Amino acid sequence: MSGADPDLVRALGAIVGPRWVKIRDAERRTYEADGLPTHASVPMVAVLPGSKAEVIAIVRLLHERRVAWVARGAGTGLSGGALADAETVLIPLTRMNKILGIDPTARRAVIEPGVVNARLSEAAAPFGLGYAPDPSSQAACTIGGNVAENAGGPHCLKYGATTAHVVALEVVLPDGSLATLGCPQGEPWGPDLVGLFVGSEGMFGIALEITVRLEPVPAAVRTLLADFGSVRAATESVGAIIASGIVPAALELLDQACVRAVEASIYAAGYPTDAAAVLLVELDGTRAAVEAETMMVERFLTEAGARTIRSAETAEARARLWQGRKKAFGAMGRIAPDLVVQDAVVPRSALPDVLDTITEVGRRYDLTIANVFHAGDGNLHPNICYDHRDLALRERVHRASKEIMEACVAAGGSITGEHGVGADKMEYMPLIFDPTSLATMCAVRRAFDPAERANPRKVVPTRYCREWRPEPIR
Amino acid sequence: MADDSRGGFAALDPCVHCGFCLPACPTYLATGDEADSPRGRILLMRALERGELRADDPALGQHLDACLGCRGCEGACPSGVGYGRGLESARERITATVGLPAAARFVLGIFARRRWWRPAVTMARWFRETGLARRFRGPTRTGFLFGMLDATTPDRPEPTPRPPRARSAPRGTVALFRGCVMDGLFDHVHEATRRTLIVNGYTVVEVEGQVCCGALHDHAGDRAAARALARRNVAAFLGQADWIVVNSAGCGALLKDLGHLLGSPEAEALGRSVRDVTELLAAAGPVTGGPVELEACYDPPCHLQHAQRVHREPLAVLDAIPGLRLRQLPGADRCCGSAGIYGALHPEMSRAVLDEKVAAIAAASPPPDVVLTGNPGCLMQIGAGLGAADLPIPVAHPVELLDRSYRAAGWYDPASPS
Repeated sequence: MSGADPDLVRALGAIVGPRWVKIRDAERRTYEADGLPTHASVPMVAVLPGSKAEVIAIVRLLHERRVAWVARGAGTGLSGGALADAETVLIPLTRMNKILGIDPTARRAVIEPGVVNARLSEAAAPFGLGYAPDPSSQAACTIGGNVAENAGGPHCLKYGATTAHVVALEVVLPDGSLATLGCPQGEPWGPDLVGLFVGSEGMFGIALEITVRLEPVPAAVRTLLADFGSVRAATESVGAIIASGIVPAALELLDQACVRAVEASIYAAGYPTDAAAVLLVELDGTRAAVEAETMMVERFLTEAGARTIRSAETAEARARLWQGRKKAFGAMGRIAPDLVVQDAVVPRSALPDVLDTITEVGRRYDLTIANVFHAGDGNLHPNICYDHRDLALRERVHRASKEIMEACVAAGGSITGEHGVGADKMEYMPLIFDPTSLATMCAVRRAFDPAERANPRKVVPTRYCREWRPEPIR
Repeated sequence: MADDSRGGFAALDPCVHCGFCLPACPTYLATGDEADSPRGRILLMRALERGELRADDPALGQHLDACLGCRGCEGACPSGVGYGRGLESARERITATVGLPAAARFVLGIFARRRWWRPAVTMARWFRETGLARRFRGPTRTGFLFGMLDATTPDRPEPTPRPPRARSAPRGTVALFRGCVMDGLFDHVHEATRRTLIVNGYTVVEVEGQVCCGALHDHAGDRAAARALARRNVAAFLGQADWIVVNSAGCGALLKDLGHLLGSPEAEALGRSVRDVTELLAAAGPVTGGPVELEACYDPPCHLQHAQRVHREPLAVLDAIPGLRLRQLPGADRCCGSAGIYGALHPEMSRAVLDEKVAAIAAASPPPDVVLTGNPGCLMQIGAGLGAADLPIPVAHPVELLDRSYRAAGWYDPASPS
């Protein structure tokens, strides 16, 4: 059983019904991880609210009792952000999964935080609309979680990440008060509080109702698959396409290790397994524009040394090409039972050199590193595959991982593109922010949550928030 | 990675807990609780294997028992995690420690013993034939049971015609697996199977001494009973025909896996000769029949699509029926909540899972004239769900419709030209 105060458990049960308060060891254990294999932490209690009123009542109760808490969606995040420890209550919002309304004329949808990303696009499809941000986990992840992490996805190259698609939020703040941020019509006056809340990684409160923009489904879509004899050639073609002024809907790269894992899975997309890298380029818009851009992109790909270029024109063929890309992370279990996945962003012009460095680091530490990433944004996802039972190997993985991150930062990059900082990348924060910036982040956090009870001990290293004291970096 | 001492638990190793299985899990969709999700259950199974949770832990038992065993998660897993193998080993370990629940022991006992099974079937058929099952069907628990029984009613009573003539080149001999529920309540599907296979060039033989396949016992964790039944079936079927034909997806999945269950070369060989009826028919074409003008929805059974990975063949069979307008409704690929004896042990979850499917059928436009699926449990579950919702839509096995198409072509008439 959990070490939770029985009185707290009773009070939570009075709000949501005892059935939805999880205190038994086995049940709490099922919430010990998110999508990131390297972090695990069993929550004190998991409580699953079924309505807005229940969420508010839970947050108020925990505020009164001075208990810390973490909000969670489907737990597909990759930063250890949705984990709670033995002193912290976990609040999964998966039961709050209703689409409250779709207004096709204004192209807006109002949803609860537990709505699964892909379900929203399905519900909007009959109106010729869709929800643009499409993280690879879109079939499972919730939009509430997307809001917390400012989730990206392949199509964010052209359409922007979650923050570009959320127009209004009704939130409960950590002290239990309610606030409405933004407005459905568009840009409000005053500071951009929606922009502040989206990507705040669960530190500023819980979104109860989310109003998002829907985009018209484009009239024409063309997906190209190019394969290359070297990763460098593939990344150089990316630079050439972007430099031409074309903004593809998506521009994704998978290297050979990744292609082989995907091709061995049920999501096999027909990627050539002998290629050093494959590039997925999607163009969308009016038919005439797509045709013209396709010709140009094909030329850039050929000039950069593409061995073959395939074009998927039917919806089924496109879906198949995309399934391979989207399920690539999940297929990594075919290489080894554990993996470290990074999320660094580098300037596109630095991609060829940074990838050479990653390959070199992998060779030096004798590790399998599979790369699958949003090439158009310069958002890298090197997956370092290993087996946690091998202790020496774990140490090598940790060192290699750090070296890769340092190389990305040295190239002018940042430590996270879309996965968030969470628990995983907190140690890298001082690599890119000076103490003054970190202290400012703490101050903003405290404006929302003076006691730091919402998603505690994550994102910003605590030593920058209080008086400085040496603390071992884990 | 293949480590026999770890049993089926080793099959869970590739899980990187990405969570892509969550939307494929009917129980997670019903509750939103990760303890009812494949990823959550894998964490539980791993903890059980490592001894971090005891086999008699009630919460562990509760959430593993609540798994339908539909294996929809395997069809969504990019890393190819062997969830079913892991679950089988976990359930075996739990059963060895705490035994089966009394309700499960009782229900499984009926299936394993002829002297209990016969009177149970006789009584069930009496309720069905007198129309009492239809009268008493409804949304209550008892009403649902009558609805399940009523769903086994053949679409119309008809005299059994003489054996038809083959209209295709000879294709070999098949032994019909009769099973328990199929034999007791779906003998009309067996007749349709026999006739349509003969039309497609197969010779169908009957095998004496065959028994229940044991899938229900195996899924419940009673592997000893499953193995005992499997041995008798191996003895009965060995060397009898080129193939064993099965028209129940659940039985087919177990029989194809006989080698794994018994570990003997004979069982292995026999398992390899098992085919779903739609696989044999599709391999023969199948021969196109006469028109059957109907709106139909096909709902693939989990044990056909996930366990046996048979996707295309049932559609090929239905494609041979001129006039049939076939659709798959949203969520057709998800479990109906039947899952062997699950409905009897976990009625609440079972109905919650079924409600989604019934809602999709109720919302379908135009409304279907018939819902098709190839497993007795699913036929009864969906049929009862439609009955409980007062939707007058019959359920049928795909071969029943092909059979009707062949009848419409006039091939079963006594004076039928060859």
